[in-house]
Amino acid sequence: MEEMLESNEMIIHLGPQHPMQPGPFRLNLKLKGETIMDAEVELGYIHKGIEKILENKTYLQGITIVDRICYLVALTNEECYVGCVEKLLGLEPPERAQYIRVIVEELSRLQSHLLGLGEYGEFIGFVSMFMYTIKEREDILTLIDMVTGARVTHSYLRFGGVRDDLPEGFKEKAIPILNNLKKVISDYEEMFNSDTIYRERTIGIGVLTADAAKSLGVSGPVLRATGVPYDIRKVEPYLVYKDLDFKVCTETAGDCFARVQVRLDEMRESIHIIEQCLDMIPSGPIFPEGTSYGRRTPVMRVPAGEVFHRVEDPRGEMGMYMVSDGSDKPYRVKVKGPYYPTLQALPPLIKGTTVADMVSISGSMDGCTSEADR
Amino acid sequence: MDARTIIESLTGKFPEAISEAGIDSQVRIRAYVDKDNAKEVCQYLKDSFQFDHLCSVCGVDYPQRNELEAVYHIASFEHPVVLMLKARLPRDSPEIESVVQVYWNANWYERETYELFGIFFKNHPNLKALVLPEDMLGEWPLRKDYEGFPNRTARNLV
Repeated sequence: MEEMLESNEMIIHLGPQHPMQPGPFRLNLKLKGETIMDAEVELGYIHKGIEKILENKTYLQGITIVDRICYLVALTNEECYVGCVEKLLGLEPPERAQYIRVIVEELSRLQSHLLGLGEYGEFIGFVSMFMYTIKEREDILTLIDMVTGARVTHSYLRFGGVRDDLPEGFKEKAIPILNNLKKVISDYEEMFNSDTIYRERTIGIGVLTADAAKSLGVSGPVLRATGVPYDIRKVEPYLVYKDLDFKVCTETAGDCFARVQVRLDEMRESIHIIEQCLDMIPSGPIFPEGTSYGRRTPVMRVPAGEVFHRVEDPRGEMGMYMVSDGSDKPYRVKVKGPYYPTLQALPPLIKGTTVADMVSISGSMDGCTSEADR
Repeated sequence: MDARTIIESLTGKFPEAISEAGIDSQVRIRAYVDKDNAKEVCQYLKDSFQFDHLCSVCGVDYPQRNELEAVYHIASFEHPVVLMLKARLPRDSPEIESVVQVYWNANWYERETYELFGIFFKNHPNLKALVLPEDMLGEWPLRKDYEGFPNRTARNLV
């Protein structure tokens, strides 16, 4: 990039630490005045070698490691990993365990979107937004904490079930929090929609068309904001999602405003899903009966084979490819996070825009560099 | 799109290059591809079966067989079938044609596979390290014979 500079051009390095970034990565921008002529992302500042670590841990130990791929969506990461192992074992969790998983994963989606919204407000100068959303997020985290015993890294899912049953009084505690959340989501929507500066900074900014988004390979809210109704929970239902009533939220504009709107709508759908689960959840065991799988799974060997499992993460399509050689440790695990392709699509998307808009566009992706780097 | 139709038409179109094709389930199919035809096959999949994006590219090391495998997971926004396409590469000179010209988002996946496994992607527009520092290039840390901890990690600290 450096060699082809003209006299009125310059290079600015944003990061690795910058307030607009969801984690450390470096963004090299070639500028002509305020306009971005070229951009390049440099990763590696938070590379943890998770794929290699997983090869050296037993399957059960791996659950705590996949939590650390991205702490915000630890439960979906676990679902993906545990789903892979269950497919290899030919194990299906009992219905109650599946419902509990859906409940905690949707709660996890809510708190991730809440933090994402707050951060986005902060990036574009709407700092008070963060204080509103972080308060509601705390309520959701309390609910997750009640079930899993931890706020962010839970190690809650187990092969064939979940570690603990729902605590007593969970439903009674969850209903008022969800009702309150429904109300505040409408407030947030009102707040965003009535704010002139917010509208100016998001409407028509960072527009992605459906065809472009598909060829860039992005997924999740960024793709759905362009009008493509692609959601793994519908496309390839896992757990009990096929029995639940929910719709895939889409917008057509494909700009930053649409991405935020999709997240707001998705939060409403998540609440709807949790409410259904709380009503429909059957009683029964949380581990498959007649097997040795339980809270304290003994050293287990997984039959040789390979599997690719996908789940819907709050940020899009999360996939894992697992190869087993019949031993007690995975032979190879490839983690395909949703933010990786989205971050890859950032440079072409910000080319031709201004530096100020770049912050708005990058923030609307709601990223997690930790997961892109792994 | 039906899994069986895809597999049959793929083996019919490339009888030489495609081998060991099979169906794992309604939404998962697999095939081995000859390493010289990977790009051609990807182009055909994209044009004929709406396989419009890559889920991932990764490598797997099999030292006993003296082979590396490049694994492509190819998916579509139109139908739920995911195709796992694998190419066997010799471990001492793993080289395969890059598919960036077909699937734009292969760029980073191939860079990562290159730095972690040493699989060289020919005609890649910008094949350099992505997540690792430049001076680790050549160590290929995700290969099974990588020494790793503690022999290699602390070398700069003492």
